[in-house]
Formats: sequence, structure tokens, C-alpha cells
Amino acid sequence: MTIPFLNSFQSEWLKKKRSLAAWIVLIGGFFTPAIIILVRIVYSSKLAVMYASPNFWFKQWENAWESMAIFFLPLGVILATSLIAQIEYKNNCWKQLHTTPLSLTTIFFSKLSVIVVMMFQFFLLFNIGIYLSALVPYLVIGGVSYPLAAIPFGYFLRENGLYFIDCLPIIAIQYMVSLRSKNFLVPVGLGIICWIAAIAILSWKFGYLMPYTYTIFNYLKAQTGGRAIKPEVNIHIMAIGYFVAVTIMSYILYITKKEKG
Amino acid sequence: MNYLLETSQLSYRFSENEMILQDINLRVPEASIYGFLGPNGAGKTTTLRLILGLLKKQEGSIHIFGKPFKQNRVEILQKIGSLIESPSLYSHLTAVENLTLLQKIYQCPKERIPAVLKLVGLSDTAKKKAGQFSLGMKQRLSIAIALLHNPSLLVLDEPTNGLDPNGIIEIRQLLKQLSQEEGTTIIISSHLLSEIEKLVTDIGIINKGKMMFQGTLDALIRKQQQLLSIVFETNDIVMADKIIREYELMPVLDDGKIMIPAVSKEVIARINQQLVNNGVDVYEIGIVKNDLEAIFIDLINHKI
Repeated sequence: MTIPFLNSFQSEWLKKKRSLAAWIVLIGGFFTPAIIILVRIVYSSKLAVMYASPNFWFKQWENAWESMAIFFLPLGVILATSLIAQIEYKNNCWKQLHTTPLSLTTIFFSKLSVIVVMMFQFFLLFNIGIYLSALVPYLVIGGVSYPLAAIPFGYFLRENGLYFIDCLPIIAIQYMVSLRSKNFLVPVGLGIICWIAAIAILSWKFGYLMPYTYTIFNYLKAQTGGRAIKPEVNIHIMAIGYFVAVTIMSYILYITKKEKG
Repeated sequence: MNYLLETSQLSYRFSENEMILQDINLRVPEASIYGFLGPNGAGKTTTLRLILGLLKKQEGSIHIFGKPFKQNRVEILQKIGSLIESPSLYSHLTAVENLTLLQKIYQCPKERIPAVLKLVGLSDTAKKKAGQFSLGMKQRLSIAIALLHNPSLLVLDEPTNGLDPNGIIEIRQLLKQLSQEEGTTIIISSHLLSEIEKLVTDIGIINKGKMMFQGTLDALIRKQQQLLSIVFETNDIVMADKIIREYELMPVLDDGKIMIPAVSKEVIARINQQLVNNGVDVYEIGIVKNDLEAIFIDLINHKI
């Protein structure tokens, strides 16, 4: 299966070229960093103190992730996943794909892999963006020194990993719904409803049952003040559990579908 | 005879009361061009979708290249090129990119991409996005996709849809060439016999989910010749009927006229003379030309 999978993955990767999903990853990765750069240039008088702080990189990380973890990441995952899965419906190509010499398992997992790799690509771009949003004000505005504190690579890597894991159940759910529904609005609409519900139940005792809350919980974990509960369970393990369970369910639904294009 | 594709008792229903196909026994000889004919809604596309595994088989069996489809799906699909209904193209990608993503799956040589584009007359539009193509160009590109990996079996569902008359002739020539030079077996569906009668070697006619005829084009032509008939229009149909019966012919009365099976010119002349001698005015003697299209219509209307 390995070689057909790689061939199929390459083919799926090519399909996203110039697609809206590819643009979402690119623009989404640099959007928040661009806003941070703009704000810092406007409020440049405070930068000298900020850049000299020993907590600079932690603050930088927190600033960058605030809107990302709560808004852009869940919504971006909802949109990008739905768009990738819907490419076949939009172009009337399921029948073409299902008459290629690929097993249904290969098709299912190569498509899913493209989405997961795209998310990885997004995280990579966003991290580059975070670094650039620290570097550009230093280069552009005089009198600001390069941050004195060392970059906490281990912390960044760990947090990236946790956010990535927290996205997985959203990917799996959106993927499952997108494969089932011909109408693009169904997965996107459902995703947005789930995200709104997630925001609404952050302070509920069992809010962690909703997988769309995980990126938000991960961001708010260090904060106090009652914006959200502190989940009594390990949400990252829950995220992996949801991802595996929903992916299995999605796979069964996909291979048992009566009409394949 | 060697059948490259064979279905047995293939039946399909969308719901309990909606029978779409009933006992379809399709037999496509190797290296033939098989015309699969039927009016809209007859079950052509459903049959082809079942053959390609796009619909889950309910009853019957499908053997392609001598192997059951279900157990050998991937191996069989490796040797099939298909175009089912409307074109399947990624509109945000160029013609070359659309072909490249399939070239990666089939692992055929990259040189096949310009070659098939040239075959279908799209060499100049290789870098244009498929979304900007006209319907005819999309159809051509879809045929190029079906041909990309040099398939042994080509399944084309109404491939000339959207093509102009020149385009139709070009595609016909291309398919003939493929059949003759490469030995490719081709199944081509259409709702117009006239569109494919110059192309096919074998024909299957389906209507309301049932096969009405299956055989070679020659067998259909023989049927056509058997069905030639002579029509007499007279002022006294009863007397004319009586006289014609003396020739041991089986006249059929239809719309005030008498029809008899084809006979020699001499017999027609003798009948005419006898009718006149018996005081019957003969207004018209004509040949009813049952062309293939008429036979096709008769077949689907259960008249034959």
C-alpha cells in the first residue's frame, strides 16, 4: 500500500494548488504576526522596555496565540478541512477518483494526510511569522534592541505540539461531515455552530466534552479570572481519543457508502 | 467467444419499488467497439457506474478481463479508462495539471501528457485553467484523461456531448484508430444510434432497465433487412387483402394501408396487375424503409 499511498498523496497535494484552502494556510499563518508588527510600529515607544524583558518570548508567544487559539485556528481548520474534502464534490470528480486504481483506504487516508500536513505547514508558517513579528520592529524602529532573553525552543515546541493535537478532532469531524455532504455549507455551518457552542460552554463543568474547545482551553490554561474552567481531564489525550474514534467512524462511513460518484 | 466484459443477471434498484436494471447480461467482445444504446433514463449510466464500481452491486455478477470485479477492483481499474456523464475536471488546475495528478496515480510516463493532449487537439491550451474551458474542450480533456494510461478498456458515457460536428467526427476517428491500432476495447453509450452506427462493431440496446437487443452491428442490419416491407394504398382494402393473401403473404392492415414483407419486383408487379384487373384502384406502392434508427425506436417501444 505504501507506494500507491505516496502516489495518491502527491496527487492530492497537487489538487490543493491555487485552491482557497492553500491560501487560507498561507494568509492565516502570517495574518496575526502582521497585525502584531503593525501595532508595534504604531506604539513603538513601549518597545524598548518590552524587548528588554526577560519574559519577552513568552509574552510574544501569548500575544500571537491569543486570537489564533480562540478564533483563527479553529475557524481556519474548519474552513481548510472542509474545502479540501469538498474539492471532489465541487469539481464533480468523485467518480473520476473512484475509478482510479486506488483502494478506498488509500484515497481516504491520503486525503486526510494532506489536511494534516497542511496544518503542519500552517504551524510552521505561523512560527516563522511569530519570529518575524519580533524581528521586524527591531529592524525597522531605531533604539530597540534585539530581545535579550533566549528563545525558549523547548516550550515553543511543546506548545506547538499541544495546539496541533488539539486541532486533530476538529479536522476529523470536519473531514467526516465534508465527505458525506455535497453541500459545502453543511460542514462549514456545522463547524461554526460547534465553535460558537464551544465558546459558550467554556465555563461549564463538562465543557471539555466538546472537542472544539481544546485549542481555547490550551490557551486559557495559564489564566485565572473565570473565563473558562480548568478541565478535570487531560484534554490532549481526549483530543487524540476523539480524533482516532471519529476517524474510524468516518472511514467506515466512507467505505460503506453506496454511491461513490 | 472471448468477452472482455461480461455481466450476468445484473439488477439494481434505488428503492423497493424502483427497479432500475433487470437481469442485464452485457457481453462485450475483446477489441470491439460496443455501442450501448438506449433513450435517456433507460439505465445506461447506471449499468456503466455498476461496472466501474461507482455503485454498490446488489444482484448479479461483473467480470472484466475474466476476473470478478469486486475481488480484483484495483487491478482491473488499472487497465480501464473512463468518462462517465459530465466531465470530471479540477477547474482551478490547468489541463496539464489535471493530467499530471492522474499520471502520478497511474505512474505512466510523463510523455503521455503532451501526447494525449495532442490526440484530442488541446496542445495549445495546456496551460489554461480547466474552469475557463468550453464544454467541448472539457469533454476533450476528459477523453484525454481516460486515454492517459493507454487503457485496454475504455468506458465512455455519451462522450460526444457538447462537441461540435467536427469534434464528433474527430473523436469517432480517434476511437476507431485506438480500436484498430491498439486493440482497445471500447464501450460507448449514446441515446442516438445514428451518432455511433458508423463507429461500432457490436450493439446493446437497453430500455427501461432491460436489454432489448444485443449482438453485432451486422446482426442488427440483418434484422433491418428482414423488416423491410412493401405498402399498398388502395380504394378497397378488403378486396386488396383477399388478393394479396392468395400469394401466401401475410398482409398487415395499418392506417388504411396494407403492408407485406419485402418481395421481388416481379411479385409486386403481378399483385398490382391483379388488383387493377379486379377493379381495385391502386394509389401508391412504396417501400417502408426501416433504417437502424427506426428499428432502435421499435425495439425500445417493444414493437419488435
